[in-house]
Amino acid sequence: MSWLRRSARLKKEWRHDPEALMLKRHFRELSVAAALGILLLFLAVAAPAFYQAQPLLSLLTREAPTLVVACGMALVIISRQIDISVGSQFAVCSVCAGLLAALKWPPFLVLPASIAIGALMGAINGTLVAGLRLPSIVVTLATMVTWREGLRWLRQGEFVNLPDGVQWLGLSQANGQRALIITALVVLVLMALAMKHLSAGRFVHAVGSDAEAARLAGIRPQLVTFSTFVLIGAFTGFAAMMNIAQSPQVDPKSGTGLELKTIAAVVVGGVAISGGRGTLWGVFAGLLLLACISPALTHLHIEAYWEKAIQGAIILLAVVADGLRTRSEKR
Amino acid sequence: MSTPHHKATGWKALLFRHETVLLLVLVMEWLYFNSVGRHFGSLDNTFDIVRHTVEIGLLALVMTPIILTGGIDLSVGSLLGLCAILFGKLWRDAGMSLMVAGLCTLGFGALAGGLNATLITWLRLPPLIVTLGTYSLFRGLAEAITHGADTFTNFPASFLFLGQERWLGIPAQAPVFIVVAIAVWLLVHRTTFGRSFRAIGFTPEGARYAGIPVERRISLVYVLAGIVAALAAIIYTARLGQAKADAGTGYELFAITAVVLGGTSIFGGIGSVHGTLLGVAAIAVLSNGLVHARQPREVAGMLTGGLLLLALSSSVLPKLLSGLRARKSAANVAPIAHQTTP
Amino acid sequence: MQKLVSFLALVGLVLATGCSKSANTPSGSADQSAGKKLTIALMPKSKGNAYFISCKQGADEAAKELGLELLFDGPTEPDPAKQNEIVENWIALGVDGIAVACENKEGISTALRKAKQKGIKVLTYDSDAAPDAREFFVNQATPEGIGYTLMDEAARLTGGEGEFVIITASLTAANMNEWRKNIEARLAEKYPKMKLMVVRPCDDLKDKAQSETTTLLSAYPNLKLVMAICSPAVPGAAEAVKQAGKAGTVKVIGLGLPGENRRYVKDGVTQSVILWKTVDLGYLTVQATAALAKGDLKPGANTFKSGRLGQMDIKGDNVLLGKPFIFNKDNIDQFNF
Repeated sequence: MSWLRRSARLKKEWRHDPEALMLKRHFRELSVAAALGILLLFLAVAAPAFYQAQPLLSLLTREAPTLVVACGMALVIISRQIDISVGSQFAVCSVCAGLLAALKWPPFLVLPASIAIGALMGAINGTLVAGLRLPSIVVTLATMVTWREGLRWLRQGEFVNLPDGVQWLGLSQANGQRALIITALVVLVLMALAMKHLSAGRFVHAVGSDAEAARLAGIRPQLVTFSTFVLIGAFTGFAAMMNIAQSPQVDPKSGTGLELKTIAAVVVGGVAISGGRGTLWGVFAGLLLLACISPALTHLHIEAYWEKAIQGAIILLAVVADGLRTRSEKR
Repeated sequence: MSTPHHKATGWKALLFRHETVLLLVLVMEWLYFNSVGRHFGSLDNTFDIVRHTVEIGLLALVMTPIILTGGIDLSVGSLLGLCAILFGKLWRDAGMSLMVAGLCTLGFGALAGGLNATLITWLRLPPLIVTLGTYSLFRGLAEAITHGADTFTNFPASFLFLGQERWLGIPAQAPVFIVVAIAVWLLVHRTTFGRSFRAIGFTPEGARYAGIPVERRISLVYVLAGIVAALAAIIYTARLGQAKADAGTGYELFAITAVVLGGTSIFGGIGSVHGTLLGVAAIAVLSNGLVHARQPREVAGMLTGGLLLLALSSSVLPKLLSGLRARKSAANVAPIAHQTTP
Repeated sequence: MQKLVSFLALVGLVLATGCSKSANTPSGSADQSAGKKLTIALMPKSKGNAYFISCKQGADEAAKELGLELLFDGPTEPDPAKQNEIVENWIALGVDGIAVACENKEGISTALRKAKQKGIKVLTYDSDAAPDAREFFVNQATPEGIGYTLMDEAARLTGGEGEFVIITASLTAANMNEWRKNIEARLAEKYPKMKLMVVRPCDDLKDKAQSETTTLLSAYPNLKLVMAICSPAVPGAAEAVKQAGKAGTVKVIGLGLPGENRRYVKDGVTQSVILWKTVDLGYLTVQATAALAKGDLKPGANTFKSGRLGQMDIKGDNVLLGKPFIFNKDNIDQFNF
């Protein structure tokens, strides 16, 4: 798309700027973090009830699976692709994992199975995108519809009841919640470090910045693209497992809207949709910001009618701020 | 076979082929459903398909130039919802006549499209992200205005005529659709505007150097999308006899699917309005025909997804295969060289 | 190359259509040869919804008993425009009777009137259309009945005072808005000491209902009760209350299916789930539609004999299913749907 090409020039200026200060380089991440900080401060004054250990822990646990998927989404977007089928993949993995668990498979076998199913669906996307060079937005649009409708057709929306012992993976509730949050954070930190320090992570950035240059530098862009799709699929399978561990039933509609939520978090967190730029720390801040809005509105006693409009306005505000900044920088 | 000697005709041939394939698919769909459903081929049913498809068809029509310029608009479905309730509100609560309310709604559609256009051109933001934001914003405003619950109904019969009755033997909204279709076709295929959309889609920088006012052209397509989304909202309201904040949910995906199915490249530059029309028809006939074939609704969704992938592969596969062949004959060392790490 | 690809594309399509054809031929040919076999079309508000699946269970049973062909289809997401389309498709298909659970009164009525004009027998069930657009409404419970029952049950559990919240499917769902109106009317009329704090949507998702309830519990510390009026929200709200360690102190009630709520009801997290016998609703609807199409049931009748359900009362143009049930700890094991 034309806007993909347009920003390539900008990125090069960034990289070669010798005075790339910490502040400047991470301006976007820091501004999102600042926005989050302001929101949290405001809540501390206006609605101190927001800060209670147990509800906050529950809230974070609910967002933990989303964070894992968002990490995968960040990778896909940095490599200049997009995946809008994650919500449907999430539902398929959840139901499959739930059915396996209901067949009395132990959790340590269900988890790899769920990851494998996710990775397989990711591989299908990856093959179509990298192998056949089809546009990812259309491929994943098609797989999104196909998985979702197929699942509805086969399962007719029936809940899957899980046996005892699956919830919290046999731990106590508090420990289970902590374990899930820590798992998600570990995934985030490992991925962030890998993106910076492993050559594979740099390949993703390189392919997203300029696939042709990456190819000339000896990277195989198609392989990198394929891998990112497999990875996001595997992450989605993992996240699905993290989600079904939180309740004794699986809703086959779970994951609806997950694609929009994660894409919004990634973009608000400063990852350029045109590829090549962005960090997972920004994604983390973006996700927390978006995840806090809905509870914040509830705590501030604002009517639910306004929620969607406010969310849209915040996404727009984030990108407009970014646009204004790049505009003024160019002058 | 596309010949490398005549690039232009080869490219045209490809375009032609894609639409031929789509047309064949459409004919086969028709024949198949006609053989299993006794009433599928009847005139009544054909007109039903037309009536059910006009709104999505309108959105797909204006989505075509947007995608030609390399952009995308996810907000059209939400805008349809917002315009529908705005129209109802102006008529019922502000006491305007339907005509005035309709004109105001069209004007509002233009404004909303203008918002997208401003953010995209002035701030040079990616359309995907801008319209993702307005997608939530427009739907959210519609819900906020009506509190989700307020429904506008009891429109006079003269207005409902537009959506439910026949005029000169054809559905009353069909002429509107035909006029818009012709206008968009002429715009894209017979004016310099259309050529500039393609040029922008191929390379916006190049288009700028060629003296095309890129920003103004891009603004034009988004404003056009806003106006037509408002028009679709009015027809939707007339067809259902009611306007509510959830009108048009998910229509943007249908429209994009139809455009891409019609052979327009999502990266911009390549595509046609008649392809889009065929794409719309293929989806509409599939969705209607499957009811006649007594297949559940989910199958329609799955087959649409499959059809989309099939259409895409058919347009890309030849290029890929010939590319592979060229690489094989060019040098066998190349793949090995690629494997060396930097 | 081009030809090859076109050919492949065509082969693919032939295969795709071929497959669906082979799956479909029996019903198609049966329809043509039997000739007089009745075809009844039943539409849920949306596909993939457990509530309507259990309706279909009863509908299938009735169809088998009566030896008629049952079409069960609807939009994949609740969408009045799609419902409208499917009804018009059924008109073109030439079915004998149509029964619809209407997402939106006004949106569906135009299509239903058209069906009536063509001589197709039209019924509504679950939620009604405009009265002139259908012959009968199979009434499982009026919005008033549902709203009042929920509110009375809430008052009974909280002793008639305290704060409560409502979790709904979406802010635009027509029937839930209708129920809300009645809940609020009952509240204003009879329970001045109870206070409805807020209404939150959960998009018909269990996971989101769980998140929303978690937030509500901390935002409204004096909360006495959560009322979930869409079926996925009841287990979602119960799980949140359970995880917050407030089982028993914050009561959970709602409209839902027994199967999804059994463990919470038994654990004492959810106090009561209100519902009618959905299987019977589907059964009765198909029985009534078939009787109407055969001419056994005529407008103005006072009773109607419905297979295994026996004599059913008709009040005006409403076929009454009976009162809603309240499932609680004591009786939930008697129901296995």
